[in-house]
Amino acid sequence: MSWFGNDSRRDVEVHRYPLLIYVLLPLAALVLQAWLPRIIGPYIWFDLPLVVTIYFALGRRNPMQGTLLGMAMGLFEDALSHRAIGINGLAKTIAGFLAGSVGIRIEVDNQTIRLLLGFALSWLSSAIYLFVNRFLLGLPMEWNWLTELFRAVGNTLIVLVLFPLLDRMQVRD
Amino acid sequence: MESFIVRYRNLVVLLVVLVAQIVGLAVQVRRTNNGQSTLDPVDQKGVRLIRLWANAVISPPEQLIHSTKLGVVNLWTNYFALWSVRQQNQDLQKTIDRLRLEQASLLEDAKQGQRLQTMLGFEQKYIYTTIPAQVYGSAGSDRSHVFYIDKGSSDGLKPDMAVITADGIVGKVRDVFSHTAQVLEINDATSGAGVILESTRIRGILRGDALGRLAIVSIMADQRIQPGERVLTAGGDMVFPRGLAVGVVEKVVRDPDRDGFINVILKPAAHLDRLDEVMVITSTEPRFSTQQQQDLATSESEKGSEAAAIKDQAIKDQMKASEMMGEKLPGLTDPNLPADKQPLNDSTPPNSVPQPPQPLHPDRFSPSAATVTEVKPKETTKDDTETKPRTKSPSATAVAHPRNGAAQPEAAKPKTPAAPRRNP
Repeated sequence: MSWFGNDSRRDVEVHRYPLLIYVLLPLAALVLQAWLPRIIGPYIWFDLPLVVTIYFALGRRNPMQGTLLGMAMGLFEDALSHRAIGINGLAKTIAGFLAGSVGIRIEVDNQTIRLLLGFALSWLSSAIYLFVNRFLLGLPMEWNWLTELFRAVGNTLIVLVLFPLLDRMQVRD
Repeated sequence: MESFIVRYRNLVVLLVVLVAQIVGLAVQVRRTNNGQSTLDPVDQKGVRLIRLWANAVISPPEQLIHSTKLGVVNLWTNYFALWSVRQQNQDLQKTIDRLRLEQASLLEDAKQGQRLQTMLGFEQKYIYTTIPAQVYGSAGSDRSHVFYIDKGSSDGLKPDMAVITADGIVGKVRDVFSHTAQVLEINDATSGAGVILESTRIRGILRGDALGRLAIVSIMADQRIQPGERVLTAGGDMVFPRGLAVGVVEKVVRDPDRDGFINVILKPAAHLDRLDEVMVITSTEPRFSTQQQQDLATSESEKGSEAAAIKDQAIKDQMKASEMMGEKLPGLTDPNLPADKQPLNDSTPPNSVPQPPQPLHPDRFSPSAATVTEVKPKETTKDDTETKPRTKSPSATAVAHPRNGAAQPEAAKPKTPAAPRRNP
């Protein structure tokens, strides 16, 4: 339970970025997530806001920042859809919190761990979305696990490409 | 207490955020009379405000990216398209001319149909005004089949207006902002439209599913429904006008929930995944638009001028043919007469009765005498009554008697058999 809020044990490097990156990267993720489906058609097997949430939460190693960033990204996604506002918010809030919490405990610069985390948190986000929508709210919703698997794989591939690129934008002492 | 919050502040923040969002979700969901949960069809004020903010943040950069992409694409395609644009223009102009003539007759039929519908008290809605709009963004998820267009309330858009393309229906306007609007696609699970199968005339409700497919759900099993049949809007949903293309039947599957019912899977007519430009039907009227009226007038005038040209050409051909015929028929030309006295050029009416020549020594049998002396037969036989001409015309008398000797009245009979025969 101690890893839930105690950041005094952080003995690993905390990633820092220019302020502009904190603003532009989430915005770019949201814009591209909304724009790319018009280009690539129905195969929207990725979730850029989730990937960015995971990246910042892992790099900052701060569950609170991960929580707030995940909430903001999820609420924006919900607001752009026609569904209830808060479903994606809940899913990404929990994903951001867990990513930040894991970042305290383990070495997240390892690419394999990043891939596994990306895959696992993507599944978790989908599962929370389904749980909230169908069981918490009782809204009718069709579900296809194969699509969620493709989405998790897509997110993992984006993690594979995007995280090393974003690492280069770090502010190093 | 303070140390507890500080120590577990991450967890506290998480719980606060989760609880706030769950409460927010609970506010948006309503329970219907049959015990099912549903979202409010119209967003509440707070929810709408959040959507408005999100749209205000995301739309400008999204539109910028989209317009940049369009600019690059247009620059590229227009350069190569210009090679053949002149020929295409000519071909299209010919097509337009032909279609205008065709349209004239079709519009006449449509007018007649409208008149009949009016007489029957049936008001049919036709598309009257549409606004073209660019699609620049989407919800970004396959769980929500919505997209955004660059026209909003400032352009006259309102919720529940139909959105179409030239190929078929696309969806309806759901949320309208000042310069943008959100469109719910017909393949979304929460969407619905009244449709009718074109040949079998079976009606049903169109729905989307989680995979973004279109289906007419829960209709009675019918063997007549075959793949390839066209599906049109039925016009009863107060959103889509009647008769717009929806798609074609792809396959028929059993309804898993109800025995004896089927779901008809459709292939959408419009390319829902690759929409760039759409049209929003802003009003429907039971009459023709100004543009259609102008097109009708244009086609009518073109049709009239074309008919007049055809008539002139026919008259010229006829005259030419009669000249050729006149040259080939010798009886119609007299070599001894000048050209202006030729029978062909004679302006005398052909049906006029020729006047007989005046006799040198007129007697009582001459035509002029007959006009003065009335012929009154003393006795007539039955045959005479039937065959005798009752005319007092001199020419008739003069002509008829020699040719019909039995019909001659006794008073008019010549005394000598060598009586002169008047032949006009």
